Amino acid sequence: MEHDDDDDDEHDTPAEVDAAFRTLRRVAITHFVLFLAAVMGVPALSLTLDWWSGGRLAGGMSPGFAMAAFGLYAFFLVIGLAAATLSSAVEARMLGGRNDDDDYPADGELP
Amino acid sequence: MRTGSALLAGTIGLTWAAVYLVTQVFVSPPLGVGTTVAAGTVASVLLVFGYPSALRGPRAAGTLWRWSRRRGGSDARPGPEERGLEGRGVERSRRRIVAGGRRMPLRSGLTADAARRTAELLRPLLGGDAVVITDRELNLAFVGPGSDHHEAGGPVRATTVRSAIAKGRTVVSRRASSMGCDDPDCPLRSGVVVPLVVGARVVGTIGVFRTHDEPTPRDQVEDMASILSLHLELAEADRERKLASDARLDALRAQINPHFLFNVLNTIASKSRTDPDEARQLLLRLSDFFRYAVRQEGQLAEFAQEYFFVRTYLSLEQARFGDRLRVRYDIDPQVLTAHVPVLVIQPLVENAVKHGLANKVEGGTVTLRARVDPLTRTTSIRVTDDGVGMAADVLDGLGTGAGAARGTEGALGEEGARGGVGLQNISERLTTLFGERFTLDIQSTAGGGTVVEVRVPLR
Repeated sequence: MEHDDDDDDEHDTPAEVDAAFRTLRRVAITHFVLFLAAVMGVPALSLTLDWWSGGRLAGGMSPGFAMAAFGLYAFFLVIGLAAATLSSAVEARMLGGRNDDDDYPADGELP
Repeated sequence: MRTGSALLAGTIGLTWAAVYLVTQVFVSPPLGVGTTVAAGTVASVLLVFGYPSALRGPRAAGTLWRWSRRRGGSDARPGPEERGLEGRGVERSRRRIVAGGRRMPLRSGLTADAARRTAELLRPLLGGDAVVITDRELNLAFVGPGSDHHEAGGPVRATTVRSAIAKGRTVVSRRASSMGCDDPDCPLRSGVVVPLVVGARVVGTIGVFRTHDEPTPRDQVEDMASILSLHLELAEADRERKLASDARLDALRAQINPHFLFNVLNTIASKSRTDPDEARQLLLRLSDFFRYAVRQEGQLAEFAQEYFFVRTYLSLEQARFGDRLRVRYDIDPQVLTAHVPVLVIQPLVENAVKHGLANKVEGGTVTLRARVDPLTRTTSIRVTDDGVGMAADVLDGLGTGAGAARGTEGALGEEGARGGVGLQNISERLTTLFGERFTLDIQSTAGGGTVVEVRVPLR
């Protein structure tokens, strides 16, 4: 049987894939917890802190309004980018082979 | 006492509860919500920042002693009679240099930069007009009059210095003619040159020169030279300790157990008929394994690289043991970029396979768990197996370095079978790298499996 060298050089074991999955799941859960904390934090502060609704910032906006209008979206963008970057890094480091194989010729001879 | 983020989180939770009770329940009328939030926030910030310091414990007594010693020296203004007594001045400088510990420049070895800083430090303390520090051939540093021709980096020109190196003892010159400088305009007229000795070897000299005929008291310079020699010996010991650590690591790398290779090759040979694809994958993995073991340089590596090495090893062992060997990785995302000592995790995993599961008919599971605690700045790596475990006496033997049952044996080194050198090797390397700031815990019960946990500072 002939092999295509391009598609079978890497073969992760089920345990390795499972490990990468669980690590990515931790990233996702952390991301969700932060998301949830931010979403729940805004009404929580409205209920507990008068200044959150009654205070006035630039343009007459209350801190709660400014957070709901701008702050939350900026926060979601930041944690989303962070989670995506971290997930890519995790996948690159936990699956596949080493990335410094360029030093090695195709015939496998050690330099 | 257990440490970690969970403990801190619990403490913060209790603190918030206490703040709530104090500000909202126990007082009448209750304080404002803003006050409660502010008090809780301040307490939390103090806890978060104070917690790592509390874990580190009080500052070392030596540090406090050095601090108070320096304060004492600067606060106590010397009287006229004291300023005139050079002996006391040297005593103060000696205290300062001894107390300086690692801040003494020569503590890092006899280099030009260290010599220059040392000479600048010693010139006012020894009461000389010029101070020279040399190795056996060159002036490493020269501070004071005459530096135009006794330049740092140039050859030793004064006969007194060459004589001290050759004879290995103190040379005192009381006249310009006996200084032996070949420059007729040299302002130096007297001097004391004392060899710096490491062991029995003269590695250099320190010379204190004056522009008049009364040289610096000989015993002061000799005392100072003794202190400098001690620092050089300590630097030499540090260098040798590092070399020994490198040698231990090289030895571990070099000792690829032929039995491991034999077993893997047999496995590959048997699969080459029934499953050529898997046999090819195993060969690639074996190549990766050797490549990492041979090429990995330095004492620390990114955890992701060590993880790759471990899973490469375990995949080879899984091919051999089949369903009897099950593997579970539990890796924190933060730990992947942390730096850990090289070739520490794989021997622990190998021990779990060889000594924990190989002798268990139904096999078992090896679990590698890695975590980072950002608050305590530690990386924790735990290798667990549910294999045959160890008896208490064997476990006690490991603590004394005499146990052999779970010494590193197999792919990297077979010394374990001869005396438990593997774990000792790891322990010694960790000691060299981290001093006392690491833990290597082994818990085991006969028939109940083994847990080995390494905690090292986060790098």
